[in-house]
This record gives sequence, C-alpha cells and structure tokens, in this order.
Amino acid sequence: MKLELQHDESKFLIRLADTSVILGQRLAEMCSRGPFLEEDMALSNISLDLFGRAEELYKLICKIEGADYTPDDLVYRRNEREYYNIKLVEQPNEDFAWVIARQFFHDLYAETLFGQLTTSSNAELAGLAVKVLKEIKYSHMHAADWMDRLGLGTEESNHRLQYAVDHLRKYIVEIFDFDDLDRRFIADTASLETTWRNAVSAKLQACNIEEKEIVTPSIRDFRDGYHSEHMGNLLSIMQYLPRAYPDAKW
Amino acid sequence: MDKFEQAFNEIIEKDLKVEPRDWMPEKYRKNLIRQISQHAHSEVIGMQPEGNWLLRAPSLRSKQVLLAKIQDEAGHGLYLYSVAETLGISRQEMNAQLHSGEAKYSSIFNYPTLTWADMGAVGWLVDGAAIVNQVSLQRTSYGPYSRGMVRICKEESFHQRQGYEIMVQMANGTPEQKEMAQDALNRFWEPSLMMFGPHDADSAHSSQSMAWKIKRESNDHLRQRFIDRTVPQAHFLGLTIPDENLKFNEETGHWETSPFNWDEFWNVIKGNGPCNRERLDHHKKAHNENAWVREAAAAYSSKVETSVA
Amino acid sequence: MESGDRTWEVFIQKKPGLAFKHAGSCHGYDKKMAIQNARDLYTRRGEGRALWVVPTEAIVSVPLDDAEAFFDPGEDKAYRHATFYKIPDGVSHL
Repeated sequence: MKLELQHDESKFLIRLADTSVILGQRLAEMCSRGPFLEEDMALSNISLDLFGRAEELYKLICKIEGADYTPDDLVYRRNEREYYNIKLVEQPNEDFAWVIARQFFHDLYAETLFGQLTTSSNAELAGLAVKVLKEIKYSHMHAADWMDRLGLGTEESNHRLQYAVDHLRKYIVEIFDFDDLDRRFIADTASLETTWRNAVSAKLQACNIEEKEIVTPSIRDFRDGYHSEHMGNLLSIMQYLPRAYPDAKW
Repeated sequence: MDKFEQAFNEIIEKDLKVEPRDWMPEKYRKNLIRQISQHAHSEVIGMQPEGNWLLRAPSLRSKQVLLAKIQDEAGHGLYLYSVAETLGISRQEMNAQLHSGEAKYSSIFNYPTLTWADMGAVGWLVDGAAIVNQVSLQRTSYGPYSRGMVRICKEESFHQRQGYEIMVQMANGTPEQKEMAQDALNRFWEPSLMMFGPHDADSAHSSQSMAWKIKRESNDHLRQRFIDRTVPQAHFLGLTIPDENLKFNEETGHWETSPFNWDEFWNVIKGNGPCNRERLDHHKKAHNENAWVREAAAAYSSKVETSVA
Repeated sequence: MESGDRTWEVFIQKKPGLAFKHAGSCHGYDKKMAIQNARDLYTRRGEGRALWVVPTEAIVSVPLDDAEAFFDPGEDKAYRHATFYKIPDGVSHL
C-alpha cells in the first residue's frame, strides 16, 4: 500500500489531521487520570472532538487523492517520519499544567487557522471548518479558564504552569515558520502569528506567568516529518494492533 | 409508630417513591448509601479495564466509541455520587471509603483485560449483566436512584451493542481474532455471572433490601434472566460457552449451568483478585497526584468569587 | 466536602420557549467550572439549548413539617378551576 500523497492540498491538510489525532491521543491518556471525574469528562470530550476532526480531515484527504486507502490506513500504517503534526501536541502529559498549557497554545492556533479555513475555496473544507471552529472555541475557553485557575491559584500551581509554559514554548517557533504550502492554503499567515502571540502574551500576563525570553531552538521542522523522541513511543502504542495483525479487520 | 414512619411505610407499600427530604429509617438510608456508592465506584473503577485498551483501539471509529463509552461511565459515576449525596454523604467521604477499602465496587473490574476481544466481552457480558440489574433498579423505591437508573439505562443502551459488535467482528475475523474472542468469553463468562452476587440464600443484604423495595428482584432471578438471554447470543457468534454442563431445560424454559466457583468470588471480594490492588492504586494515584490542582481551583475560587449567588 | 468544591443544581431548557427543567446536580469550584461540568454531564446527547446552574445552598424549600400547612389549603378551592363554572349549551369560545 502506497500512502504517499500526490496533491498539495492533501499535503497541507494532513498536517492538521495529524495534529488533531496526536493531540486526541494525548488527551485520551488522561482518561481516569484527571484531578476529578468532571475534568476527566471534559478532557474526554475534547479528545473526542479531536478524533472526529482528524477522521473528517483524513476523509477529505482520501477523497482529494482518489485513494484506495482509508483514514485508518493513514493513522495506523505510517511511521514517525511520515507524520506531520506540530511537535507541541506530541509532548507528554507531565502533569495537569502541561495538559492545559499545551491545549491553550494549540487551541489558540487552531482557532485562528480554522477560522481562516471557513472561507476556503474547497466547500467541503470550509463547511468542516465552521463545525470545527465551534468545538475549538469551547475547548479554548476551557483551557483559558484553567490557565487562570492554575496561574492565579496557589504558588505551587503557578510554578507548575510556569514550568510547563517555559518548556512548551520551545515548540512554538516552528509553527509560524511557514512554507509555501502554508501560504497557499492559509489566507493570512501573518495574522495567524500575530493573533496567537498577542493573545498568549495577554493571557500569560493576566494569569501571572512570565513570558521569558527564549532562544530559538535548533529543532528541525515538523513539515519534514521531524519529531521529538516521544512520537515513536506514542505511535507504537497507538498502532500496535493493526501492525501486529496486518490482515485483520477491526 | 409516629406519623413520619407511617408515611414512609405507606410510600413503600403503595410503590411510591421516597424523596430526599422524606423521613426514612436510618438503616434504609445506610443501606442505600452502601448500595449506591458501591454502584458509583463500580462505574468509576470500571473505566480502568477499558481504559487499558483505549490508546490501542485499532481504528478511529472504535477509539471514539470506546472513549465515549468510558466517558459515559464517568458520567454515570457522577449521577450516582450525586444521588448518594442526597442521602447526606459527601463525595469526599465516599472517595475516602473507596480508598480505605470500606466501600466496595463490583469484583468484575478486578479482572484484567488482556486482548482487544476483551473490549467486546466487557461490553457484551459485563455491561449486559449490569443492564439487567439496572433495568430492574429503575423501579427502586428511592426516587433519585430510580430516576438516575432511568437516565443511565437510556444512555447505556449502546454499551452492550458496542461490545457485541466487536465480538461479531472478532468471531468472524481471522483465526487469531476468533481465538481471542473465544478466550475472552472463557475468561469473562463466570465472573460476569457472579456479578449478580451470591445466591439468594447467602446474600447478606438481600431480604431487607427487597422488603424496602430498594432491590426489586433477587440475585438468582436476575442472573437467570441474563443467562437465558446470553447463551443464544454466544451461539450466534459460533462461540462455545465455557461450561460443559450447560443445558437447556425444556420444562422450565431456562438454561442450567454448573455451580460457580464461589471460593474465587469471595477471594476476589476480599481483595485477592488479579487487579484489586492495581485498580485502587491507580485511583489513589490520580487523586493524590492532582491534589495541587484541586487546591489551585479552590484558592482561585476564593479569590474571584466573593458571593455565591 | 473538600474545601472549595461545591454542588450546584442544574436546569436545562430543551428548546427555546420551553421551561427550564431540573436535571440533577453537579460539582464545581467556581461558576464557570460548574456550568462547564453541567454541560459535559447533562448535555452530551443534545439534551438542551440553554443551561442554568444554581448553588445548591441557594435553594429554599418548604420544611417537611410545614408541607400540609403550605399545600392543603390549595386543594379545596374548586372555583379556581374552569370546570367549576356552568355555561349554557350553545355558547362557544368560553
């Protein structure tokens, strides 16, 4: 089975699809591990939205490619170097502050991005973006509220959030290092970055988290299928069954 | 007998519902708290054996279905905790009782889930057994519990189907998949029958619960209903029920089984099942390691919310 | 109860124009959390289009002892119901 994409639009969309499925998987790891049951349900809901979003995006990709493979093939039969998610979302759930900071950073980015895609010339994509935007707005609100609680809660929670923010910000630079493909399908890449940076600065300040100077890290681009070490482990768990039983249908 | 006790007896007799503000005998309240908190803990601990396969679910569809199902279980735990709270026990107390071992949960969740077929068997057999029990509890005499059961039964109607769908897929799949399906049935058959509890004659709380109409049908009665429903479903799958003595009694119209291994049942209840320790440790760990999150939420709330209403 | 964690009563409006109906209760440390928890717990299957949460302690109820005094006097006032009145045959729209 050849899973190489031929069309530019699907090469662009798979970045969004992969980002959704990997973040969905990370959030699913939180199932039965939240600070209380209600939050377990909240994170499960967001995870479900992400898996649903990924599935729709993969379907679009299969359609554009006129493919004989399925969304599941794309999820379960590609290796690390064939995945194109932003590295931010594959970062582990070190603690609840990581979960929240990662989600907040992602949702802000995704909200502007899908907001722009609502005017895509691909009507199906535009329609999907409208639906997805509602989910992201909710998830963003949920994460933003927790940023306040953790940032302004106790000294410990503030420190933990600061630590998570410091670590995760290192994976932001690559997101805005746009290539030609991005510029073709995102109407306004410049505003995607400024909207994100302004909103993050405002939020961090409001919740008493310092926005430290960070040196641009030497990390290779997710657009070329580069990842952190966490990715292979995540995939080996996620893809275990279809890999171990290639002939089975599930 | 004072007028309150009389009113209570009348409610029970006439098959009406007892409500939180009504007078009730202390033992009725205690009995309810025991049963409802056990029910709630079962939903919550039950998230773990399924969560064990969530990250390895083999398709986007099965992953979403399983996550939605586990999420329902969290929700049902919450419904039940809030029902228990109407009886004057707090969530924190119930959690503490779970952690100390004072409160129990269904023993079935102390069995490990070893293959993906177990997601089928758990949905089909474990949820199937739970549903038989819960449908009966819709008629329980405590109003909030009864209404909670109605809601839960409605929501859980997809759970058993989800499990059976996996069993169909596996039983008709590759030889390896079929083997996994049979193996899952072999391991979960007897434990799921024991979910209904001891035989009526050996059940400590049964008779009083029946008299107060907390329980509406006996353990053995419910168990038999489940067996009669499930055996033909197994045959449809082409799987073998792991009981050499299983036979259909033409006269009674019921399937008859071998005696169960009650020694194992009691041993697992006492804490010596394959995963008792692991399940509790998992729950405690999540609770304890996130104490700082709850403290942060409390501190934040006291800073920003000066008035309640 | 764990410090800061409170219970809230949840009311759902199924669609615009209908009354809000009590659905149950939920937990939450603050208002925003309470309404989000209520949403995740009670509206996962499209059960509503609007949601209220009210702190449980803000609910005022009739004490059990006073129930008869509160409600029995309302039971024998038949003249408050339309069926109490006799209208001659042939008169419509009444």
